[in-house]
Amino acid sequence: MAEFYPSISQCAIVATALKLLLFPAYKSTDFEVHRNWLAIAHSLPVKEWYFEKTSEWTLDYPPFFAYFEWVLSQFAAYFHPNLLEVSQLEYDSWQTIYFQRATVIATELILVYALHLYVRTSPLIAKQTAHVAALSILLSPGLLIIDHIHFQYNGFLYGILILSIVLARRQSTLLLSGLLFAALLCLKHIYLYLAPAYFVYLLRQYCLSPRSIFRPRFGNCVKLGTGISAIFATAFGPFVYWGQVDQLLSRLFPFARGLCHAYWAPNVWAMYSFADRVLIHVAPRLGLHVDETAVHSVTRGLVGDTSFAVLPNIPPKITFLLTLAFQTICLLKLFFQPNWETFVGAVTLCGYASFLFGWHVHEKAILLVIIPFSLLALRDRRYLGAFRPLAVAGHVSLFPLLFTAAEFPIKTVYTVFWLVTFLFAFDRLAPVSSRPRVFLLDRFSLLYITVAIPLIVYCSMVHELVFGKRYEFIPLMFTSSYAAIGVVGSWIGFLVVYFTS
Amino acid sequence: MPPKTPASTHRPRRRNKISTGLPSTPGHGTSIFDPLTQSQRPAFPLAAFLWPARGTTSQWVLLPVLLMVVGLFRWAIGLWGYSGFNSPPMHGDFEAQRHWMEITNHLPVSKWYFYDLQWWGLDYPPLTAYHSWLLGKIGSKVNPAWFALDTSRRMDDPMLKIYMRATVIISEYLIYIPAIIVFFRHFRRREAVDTWESSIALLAFLMQPATILTDHGHFQYNTVMLGFFLAALSNILAGRLLWSCIFFVAALGFKQMALYYAPPIFAYLLGVSVIPRLHLSRFLGIAIITILSFVLLLAPFIIGVAYDVHRQIPMDETEPPLLSIIPFRLDRQAFYYPFVLQLGQMVHRVFPFARGIFEDKVANIWCALHTFHKLHKYPQIWLQRISLLATLAAIAPSCLVIFLKPRRDLLPLTLASSAWGFFLCSFQVHEKSVLLPLLPMTLLLGSDSGLGPSKRSWIGFANILGAWTLFPLLKRDELRFPYFIFTLLWAYLLDIPPASLGVYTSYHSQPETAVGLPTKFLHISFYCTMVVWHFFEFYVAPPQRKPDLWVVANAGIGAAGFGICYLWCTWHLLLQSKLFSDASPQPAAVTPLKQRLRSNGRAKQL
Repeated sequence: MAEFYPSISQCAIVATALKLLLFPAYKSTDFEVHRNWLAIAHSLPVKEWYFEKTSEWTLDYPPFFAYFEWVLSQFAAYFHPNLLEVSQLEYDSWQTIYFQRATVIATELILVYALHLYVRTSPLIAKQTAHVAALSILLSPGLLIIDHIHFQYNGFLYGILILSIVLARRQSTLLLSGLLFAALLCLKHIYLYLAPAYFVYLLRQYCLSPRSIFRPRFGNCVKLGTGISAIFATAFGPFVYWGQVDQLLSRLFPFARGLCHAYWAPNVWAMYSFADRVLIHVAPRLGLHVDETAVHSVTRGLVGDTSFAVLPNIPPKITFLLTLAFQTICLLKLFFQPNWETFVGAVTLCGYASFLFGWHVHEKAILLVIIPFSLLALRDRRYLGAFRPLAVAGHVSLFPLLFTAAEFPIKTVYTVFWLVTFLFAFDRLAPVSSRPRVFLLDRFSLLYITVAIPLIVYCSMVHELVFGKRYEFIPLMFTSSYAAIGVVGSWIGFLVVYFTS
Repeated sequence: MPPKTPASTHRPRRRNKISTGLPSTPGHGTSIFDPLTQSQRPAFPLAAFLWPARGTTSQWVLLPVLLMVVGLFRWAIGLWGYSGFNSPPMHGDFEAQRHWMEITNHLPVSKWYFYDLQWWGLDYPPLTAYHSWLLGKIGSKVNPAWFALDTSRRMDDPMLKIYMRATVIISEYLIYIPAIIVFFRHFRRREAVDTWESSIALLAFLMQPATILTDHGHFQYNTVMLGFFLAALSNILAGRLLWSCIFFVAALGFKQMALYYAPPIFAYLLGVSVIPRLHLSRFLGIAIITILSFVLLLAPFIIGVAYDVHRQIPMDETEPPLLSIIPFRLDRQAFYYPFVLQLGQMVHRVFPFARGIFEDKVANIWCALHTFHKLHKYPQIWLQRISLLATLAAIAPSCLVIFLKPRRDLLPLTLASSAWGFFLCSFQVHEKSVLLPLLPMTLLLGSDSGLGPSKRSWIGFANILGAWTLFPLLKRDELRFPYFIFTLLWAYLLDIPPASLGVYTSYHSQPETAVGLPTKFLHISFYCTMVVWHFFEFYVAPPQRKPDLWVVANAGIGAAGFGICYLWCTWHLLLQSKLFSDASPQPAAVTPLKQRLRSNGRAKQL
């Protein structure tokens, strides 16, 4: 078997060195959130985990993640017990930083293993492209920005997701894949967005006979059903027993939040908000009614109830219906063509639909699209054509997460480095498609990528020089509108590829 | 006239040679032929990272990517502490550099070398002052408080830190990095090294831990001086001697430490002017351009003093000691007096002969000697003379060789040997000066078979040892963590200890390129000592009576290792120059390494 260089482990070592050097970098409130959870998990009985509210950063991840924090806190108790006190708000001694940052790096090993397994299980002919795709995920600027600077545990969680997707490749490990995904849901409920694809795929591949959809395989159904129930029981059982379900659910699904997050995630609602902003100025001439009270809330883009001045408001129900509708369209194809490639495509499209139409979507959720898509991007040049604008838009949309001057060179240079390296490598490796490519899409993506450069320059420097602290929302709005065009464009491109292949 | 070697018309080797899979190429040391799979694999991780770039990858893609990566590491290290952060009363090099930006922006040129010398008075040559002036001008546009006269002292504003870090990186990317890229272009052609392998050498060079930790961690602008020096060197390689003079004067004018390179450069320029026969016009050209460059360098000061004289501003400064020791009295009323005073003060500030033979513990022979035999009891002047003689003796071999054989391919070894001599024997050496010998020695990575196990192990050894001797300094700046991470990373990339033993063990299939047993033993014993030293330094408190024990041990071991590096460079210079090989019979026992070097040299000459 031919080896490919640089190997995954070599890249992991060098990337780890960089991540270790980033220890003193900016960290968001998520750092304090996770420190608080460590403290809660360590010092309080399980019964009180979801009631504790000394800190404003209450536990709002599912129970497995709390268990995970409990495991980490056992190590923390050896390393630096001070960080485990619930009352120590905003505690960030250097030991705390070293410990928490190190746990992110250490738990990311599961991603390294998952990617290794992904390359190993790829067919011989696609091994090289799989290797490059694996490296692109391992070195993803998204993970670097969100996990190692901003602070979260996505590397670990996406590692489990990829592991589960890779295990779905073989019939023999399909059950394991399903169970792993169920466990993932109990770690972070954002993956519920991908659940429909898993449901359809497991139903078709595992629970129903390959020959006829009307002949269920009862043995498999029982195995899968029991396994998933057992996992959910482990996670939620105790809380059901204590009658805390309502409290738990209110923590996990805070519907009080608005349609858009503080920084607009680049989805259709960002475009909708942008259109609304434009209409505020145009509406009086068109004779439309402008809701004066709403004018300010959208400009500020604060967390809370987003209301629109001209366009009708969007209730949560609409976002769910839209998400579900677009997911269903993709799942129909998966149901009738249940192979692994279609499954990964469907996972990606479920991610797309939820990101584009979901309620209170976080810009970090773009990884839900980019990471599964990376596994497919090198299938042929048409996939790559749809992937390119997503890669640019998705990562550029993460830039507002880091607003401090010291991290500006890191986020931009690293992202440009990644884009140049991997788009160049992808371009050299992606095989030619057997089907005609969509001419317009290629031109669109080239034009689109070019626009990114002046945009970043404007948002990061020119705007502040010209306007100072005024109109701070403009760069954010430009970034998210620009990124939204890219994400929507790549979504349409990918839909075309998905349904025509 | 220099011997016109055919190498100047030599075309680089065909790029795709390495991807043809010929088993001959592993001789370069970048790839290893695996007989089991009948295929090649990269010999060390750094080669693996550039493995996909073999063959057709354009330099226009590869180079920006490499520069982005090395830039990221630089900036990441910059996030850590710097010299003098939150450490009153005097703070450190960061405050010194910031203070110079402050005074150059607020005072007339003629006061720069006189103003409040107790608080980090300017003690670098004029180009540093101009550089500070420019950076201070730009910085004052961002935030005038950073460089306000006197009130800005001891400032530890986080935004100021970012600005200062950015100036280091930008200065480096404007001077050092273009210079090294151009240097490797010329060097590659001259040494007939493949583009791909040259890129590996470039990346290894740009990741040198000692340089990055000093400039971007501890905080200094060494790379500007080193960049000017590299520009001078690459102009010599390209045969543009006059340009090289200008750049060399710039290096000297930025930091007096560039004097370490001056004797060999002088010997080379003299050599090409008189050997094989006198080349008067070249000699005069070099002399005139050098003098003109110095005049240009000093012109702002002369004009500044002239302006003060014109406006009749009195020079009430005390006479620098340098002027008081000259045998005759200067007429204080003479028209030339203010100019002499200014230059005298400048020289006095830049060359601190008044200070001791060494300042902090530094890994040279004086500090090592001092451990066993106190040197303080000897008169200062005596020590100065002894150190001058020792330095002259140490640099004599290399300078003599380059004078007699002024060949461009000998320059890196000559410079390394001479700079090691300077570092080990001269007066008032700083631990950071180790960057000067490390630079030309690390350049050898780009030479013929420079990435092979033999040279790589030696260059790696010198660099790791160099970074290790900087540890006491870095520890003071809270840079322990980045020191360990970055040094280990570099060692890992080049497959050298302490990260890996690959450079000694992975060439079993090619015994002709493998490192000899004595070298292995020597290196590994040094590496073990360094690791053990770190262990002691961390876990064992030094005895009460000798609180500096670990630092002194560090300096002593470092001096021994650097002495060995000096010998290695000088020995290989002698071998490569073939100064004696035509006349004297070959020594009986020749290690494979020496044979290879010799045959390489011969092949190049043919």
